[in-house]
Amino acid sequence: MSSPTDLPKDAESRLAELGHGFFTSDLSVNEFLLVKETGFHPLGFVMGSSIYHTGIQGRRWSKSQELSKLTEAMYNARELAMTRMEEEADELGADGIVGVRLDVNYYEWGSDAAEFIALGTAVKAEDGKSYRNKQGKPFTSDLSGQDFWTIMQTGYVPQGLVMGTCVYHIAHRGLGQTLGSVGQNIELPNFTQALYEARELAMTRMQDEGNTLGATGIVGVRLEEKSHQWGSHTIEFLAIGTAVTKSAGDVTLPRPTVIISLDN
Amino acid sequence: MTGPGDLPEAATRRLESGSFSSGLTVPDFGACLQMGLRPVGLVQGFCAMQWSWYGAGSPYMRGTSPYGTSDGGQGAYSQSWRCPHGLVSAEHRAWGQNYEQTWVESAWLQGFGSAYGRLIEEAKEVGAHGIIGVTDTSHNLADMNVTEFHMLGTAVVVEDAPAPPGGDPWSTYLAGQRLAKLIEAGFMPISVIAGIASVRVWAYCMTEYLMEGRVGTYGWGGATSTQEIEQVSEGHLAARALAREHVRRQLGSDMLHGVSITTAEREVGSGDQVLECTLRGTRVRRFKGFDPMPTPRPTVRLS
Repeated sequence: MSSPTDLPKDAESRLAELGHGFFTSDLSVNEFLLVKETGFHPLGFVMGSSIYHTGIQGRRWSKSQELSKLTEAMYNARELAMTRMEEEADELGADGIVGVRLDVNYYEWGSDAAEFIALGTAVKAEDGKSYRNKQGKPFTSDLSGQDFWTIMQTGYVPQGLVMGTCVYHIAHRGLGQTLGSVGQNIELPNFTQALYEARELAMTRMQDEGNTLGATGIVGVRLEEKSHQWGSHTIEFLAIGTAVTKSAGDVTLPRPTVIISLDN
Repeated sequence: MTGPGDLPEAATRRLESGSFSSGLTVPDFGACLQMGLRPVGLVQGFCAMQWSWYGAGSPYMRGTSPYGTSDGGQGAYSQSWRCPHGLVSAEHRAWGQNYEQTWVESAWLQGFGSAYGRLIEEAKEVGAHGIIGVTDTSHNLADMNVTEFHMLGTAVVVEDAPAPPGGDPWSTYLAGQRLAKLIEAGFMPISVIAGIASVRVWAYCMTEYLMEGRVGTYGWGGATSTQEIEQVSEGHLAARALAREHVRRQLGSDMLHGVSITTAEREVGSGDQVLECTLRGTRVRRFKGFDPMPTPRPTVRLS
């Protein structure tokens, strides 16, 4: 499997069957209607997967530091999954992918191996205009159908799901250090600095991706912290959000109506 | 890391880049644009604090008078209970006491305050008028005695408004339509406010037996009677009252909106507890009269 034509044979035959107006999607009925309302038509359910051996990296017991090899591995694995999903969408001639989910699964059969999987619904504009991003690829976004409708009304167009990650090792405290401050409630500047730095690095990397896409900004940023299978002192900080650009369109989001629900 | 100018280098680099980032959901983002607010950046503040509980679970701390601690940590609240049994025994807890742990409160305030200060600093860095959709969390780090305080929010500028004056940007836990409704009602957010009260419950014999479900074992207090554990009730009442008082002191003449109050109980010995009451909300100030809302339209959902 090497890019760009690294999709399995089955994928190609599945995608070839789509088209002729037949489509698959994981959109709910409401989402489907709203995506249609926005002027897009779903083409097919697309995915990309990558099984990655994340390995281990030596860490100093008493030092807080970024584990750059792990960061790179986590990043590449997601990137591969995303790229394959984009290729599937490309096969369908899509303008973009909505409702993207990016998951990490661990299986019993492979220790240190993780499956990174990206799923979403490929869509195409009905007005014939191209909504592909600056790099000529279909846009990706983790927005739901409802969010997709709303963002288009604000005059912003999604460009891509952008992410930044940083795997960080948090130092263990030595006995001396612990004893030296027993019974005190004090700030630990080293820890503050280390975790602060880790989060900022993740966010910076996400923003760099956004800038590469020429985005005006990123909405719906989530900051996730997971230890995966590394033990509690090694944490992955993942920042993820949808990069958007301001299109020529004005804000057409109507003023919301005040309602009172008569349901319970 | 104290005082201003203590942001990590990566923060400065991130905030200098041209594009914005926001932690707002799309509906909140839409509402934000409608209100004339433009998001300029995701901002955060962080503080790691060493945390320890005085005499937690330690039998040696029992009976130590808190009046004797070097912290001078006696707060506004303390209350004692005496054994009704007239027993004299080393194992029988002849007296119990509740008191406010001011040193825990001030440590918490320091952690929260530093994180908040850094959040504000990041917002200033991007020239924001305010911060919306603030979240604050604190949790234990990697099973050490370290508590981390983390605050996150979206910095915004008011469209077509002059550059913010020198003061701190305003901040609020609200975002989206909830913030729009607040402003429509004539209130401006001033800042997020949180207060904590920490009350230590040293159980006396009755509390210990009731908490352990041992009433009746010694023939005291009736075999299976359901009754109030007065010392614990009083502790909870005091913790809530203190938390309210701490927040009220920060309010000045302003009002508090969208308050949440939570109490965490931590068992530190048989019958002994630490009660931690946290109160948070947005400090608001009236800036215009109340605009009547449009008449709501009644709806019924068919799904």
